[in-house]
Amino acid sequence: MRITVSLHGVLRRERFKEKDCHYPSGSNVQMIINDLKIPEQLLGIILINGTHAGADDKLNDGDSLMLLPLLEGG
Amino acid sequence: MRFETTDPVAHPELIFYRRCTLNLETGEQRFEEVPCQNLEDVLGGFGRSFQQLAQRTITSAYCEDNPLIINTGLLTGSSAMTGLRTYFSSYSPIKGSLAGKPAAMWSTGSGKFGAKFKWTGLDELILEKRSSAPVYLLIKETPNGPQIELKPADHLLGLGTHAKIMVLQKEYADAHFAAIGQAGENWENNYMGAVALSTENQLKSGEDKLRFAGRGGMGSIMGYKNVLALVAQSDDKNKPLTDAVKKVNINVVKGGGSARLQPIKRGGGGGTWAAYDVMQPFHAVPVNNYRPQGNDLPEKLLRENVEKDYDIESAACYRCGITCHNYISEKNPDGSKGEFIAKFDYEPLNLLSTNIGIHDAGQGGRLIQLCDNYGMDAISLGVTVAYVLSYNERHPEQPLLNGATFGDYAKIRDLIIGAGEGQYPEIGQGSMRLSHQTGDTEYAYHVKGLELPAYQPETNPGYCWAIAGGHMSMGSYGTLIREGKSDIDSWVQAITQDKLHIVGFDLIGLCKFFDITQGIGTQMVVDCLKSDFNLDVDPLKIKDAVRRSFIRGMTMEFRQGYTKEEFCLPAEAGKDPNPHIKLPNLADPTFMAELSTKVWEVFDREIKDLGTGI
Repeated sequence: MRITVSLHGVLRRERFKEKDCHYPSGSNVQMIINDLKIPEQLLGIILINGTHAGADDKLNDGDSLMLLPLLEGG
Repeated sequence: MRFETTDPVAHPELIFYRRCTLNLETGEQRFEEVPCQNLEDVLGGFGRSFQQLAQRTITSAYCEDNPLIINTGLLTGSSAMTGLRTYFSSYSPIKGSLAGKPAAMWSTGSGKFGAKFKWTGLDELILEKRSSAPVYLLIKETPNGPQIELKPADHLLGLGTHAKIMVLQKEYADAHFAAIGQAGENWENNYMGAVALSTENQLKSGEDKLRFAGRGGMGSIMGYKNVLALVAQSDDKNKPLTDAVKKVNINVVKGGGSARLQPIKRGGGGGTWAAYDVMQPFHAVPVNNYRPQGNDLPEKLLRENVEKDYDIESAACYRCGITCHNYISEKNPDGSKGEFIAKFDYEPLNLLSTNIGIHDAGQGGRLIQLCDNYGMDAISLGVTVAYVLSYNERHPEQPLLNGATFGDYAKIRDLIIGAGEGQYPEIGQGSMRLSHQTGDTEYAYHVKGLELPAYQPETNPGYCWAIAGGHMSMGSYGTLIREGKSDIDSWVQAITQDKLHIVGFDLIGLCKFFDITQGIGTQMVVDCLKSDFNLDVDPLKIKDAVRRSFIRGMTMEFRQGYTKEEFCLPAEAGKDPNPHIKLPNLADPTFMAELSTKVWEVFDREIKDLGTGI
């Protein structure tokens, strides 16, 4: 299935901003995080089609997945 | 402090702190060992100072009976990482109720002054009355205990924060410093004066790398008292690191919430500045007085764009491994580091750049530098300037002050200088007073008289219940963006239970990045207290003390004339929803009404229980 993955902030470094990726049907967010080798400690927010989601959530063909670092105050 | 018990909960009276009460009018000093009354007295910071402020009836911040309390927390100067905090508490000139009474406030900062202050042997200094002439206070360690001298300070008058500290450093090479800038000296026209705290980085480099206790105008109170600076002179007393504290410190750096703040080259997220990266995809970065436009303008200040033209250096406080902030400097033609400009932290950066229409990192940095050197709270200053710019955009036929508009760097710079020099009281007295003068109150972005931090109010109704600044005393700013919570029950839980515990750090002497998600009622803190002071404390008892302190602060707000109607977000956020923010609008009046009812159901009960025993 095709998933549009967009990365933000430090997660973009040595990866990409946005890319159409292909994963097996039934893949969940964690599998993509692993595939992209995103360190768990840097990942803060997961959005599927603009809605907050979790690493265990499954994806469907055509979904948009956004991964962002954590908000830590200022 | 002196400990004659290992149980601070059952026997706080067997723990003593050393206090000096200094009458600035007469020079009279009273040193005493004071037995603690409760656990919050032991922990220190505002947990102790607010109990003292509660004993006073203060109707005007600038009156002789309003004290300035300078103290530390139990872990200030300890071996626990981030243990550097100094607290300044008083009734605030800028935060006040519509009834006209000043609110009790505290403000805190790191730097090394707090540790040096504690190492003189003093835990608390209460400044009473005011000096008839400008002075600085030399607080020094002696074989007979701490001593304080009042010194003439005419030579410091008119200097900025950094310049004052540089002058004093020549005389006291082994000391650290707290100083006000011109803004605090101009206290009559500037209510947002900050107290600058010296850092090792600053003293070694000679560059203006300061830390600040910014919120609430504590620097203006210091200026009113005619105290231009504090010098803490003592030997360093770093304790050997025990295995227990070493383990905690490793956890602070590598675990907890701070790992994401580490420098990018160490695998971290790059400091607080990175908040831009998180909020921009939601179009929730404040732009032009908290009105994000749904465009990519904020991206000009993303680190990846700034580092092309400027040198960026990750930096940490003294003996801290978190490295939360970044220094930005000019970049020489050969790529080497040029002149230092300013420290980039999220709040000052946004509120003195993107939120006033400045999208150039160098210009934003120079405005931060001005703000720091004049010694103003970057949040109150930036938000009040944004109000002026917004007013001028709406009233081009009759603009305020110099007619500055969003993005007009030269005129905005003039506003900041004028505010710092006391020439623009319209700005110096904050957005609440100015908006009441103009009659346009709906887009003045303050709550209870204190300007909002750089998180959209639509995303954080918790601002209403913060007791000393919107993000430092109510940690709910990420509840929607980070956690995706937009239902009433989650927000009631956040405001009344989980997120108020952020204030615990403002008792104990630690920075919030020690463990921002958990607060201080944790095994990590318990381990530090056991290791450094042989105290046995249940973490739940610590949480109880933090909660009592928070409720005491809220109770004092009502005593100073606040009504529940003043616990509200800026009206524009609810009345004129911003269509560009890609998140639910929690400032919606219906949502806010239901939330308020449920939050007060919890807090009312505890305020009543606390009664007059505050």
